[in-house]
Amino acid sequence: MSLLKRYLPAAVRISLGAVFIYAALPKIADPAAFAGSVAAYRILPYFGSYLAAAVLPFLELICGMLLVCRWRVKTAALIIAAMNLLFIAALASAIARGLDIDCGCFRQGGAKTSPWLALGRDVLFLAMTALVLRFEKKDATTAAP
Amino acid sequence: MLKNSWLGTAAEAVVIVAISTVLGLSWNRTLLTGAWKGEPTQQVEVAQQGAVLPMPIGLAQVKELSDAGQALLVDARSSASYAEEHIAGALTLPLEEARGKSASLRGRFPAGATIIAYCNGFSCHDSMELGKLLIQAGYSSVYVFEGGLPEWRDAGHPVAKGGK
Repeated sequence: MSLLKRYLPAAVRISLGAVFIYAALPKIADPAAFAGSVAAYRILPYFGSYLAAAVLPFLELICGMLLVCRWRVKTAALIIAAMNLLFIAALASAIARGLDIDCGCFRQGGAKTSPWLALGRDVLFLAMTALVLRFEKKDATTAAP
Repeated sequence: MLKNSWLGTAAEAVVIVAISTVLGLSWNRTLLTGAWKGEPTQQVEVAQQGAVLPMPIGLAQVKELSDAGQALLVDARSSASYAEEHIAGALTLPLEEARGKSASLRGRFPAGATIIAYCNGFSCHDSMELGKLLIQAGYSSVYVFEGGLPEWRDAGHPVAKGGK
């Protein structure tokens, strides 16, 4: 029990960070394909899809690395929470409009991941983010001099 | 105290977002300037392949040629996607169909016609594949509009529904 208590915060934080790093790399490698995935949501205009595809992966990468390195965890976790909310909103609107698209969350192309599955996954990540924030807050109150 | 820590977090967030933006924009600057100018996002690799590869063409030229009636626009997507939405005046020729009976491509269009193939833009390669088939079938003036339907639609140019 105490072992779990001791290592759970680090495990959640590092795995959440790793997920975001893992999600960012293929998008950075093939931004045009990711722009296609963004455009498939039909939310942003043509150039907007390219802009989002250029910037979002780097935000994911940096926040993921910050979580893994445990540096500025609170800020990184808050940004990740904001991104997750954004992804959930986009997926929900895709489902509501009946778009049959790939979520474009991780590897681009290949087998389609249904929006429902992606939505569930994002809710899980959001819960993990909330846990990370909670653990950090606890740490700050007990460890503060 | 609490207010200060929130201000600090917000400032950090701004810095992180700014760094990501700068990194993202500079990493993708070629792609972005290309997309901004409406240029194709993929370069045709080797010059000697020029004979068998269709030439990329940008949005402005596609519009000009189609307005002047100097080019045939050909939709490489499935006929279902074509029926849902396509560039006004475009003909449907799904890549799968063209692959199946490449012999019938000869004589399908006027021999000297300028043909512009397109599909869903971005990473959709079907128009390039269709363009190659058309060149193999003997058409000499074949282009690929890589921005495809999304770029055309978002530029506010006319689209049409239905038809076969």
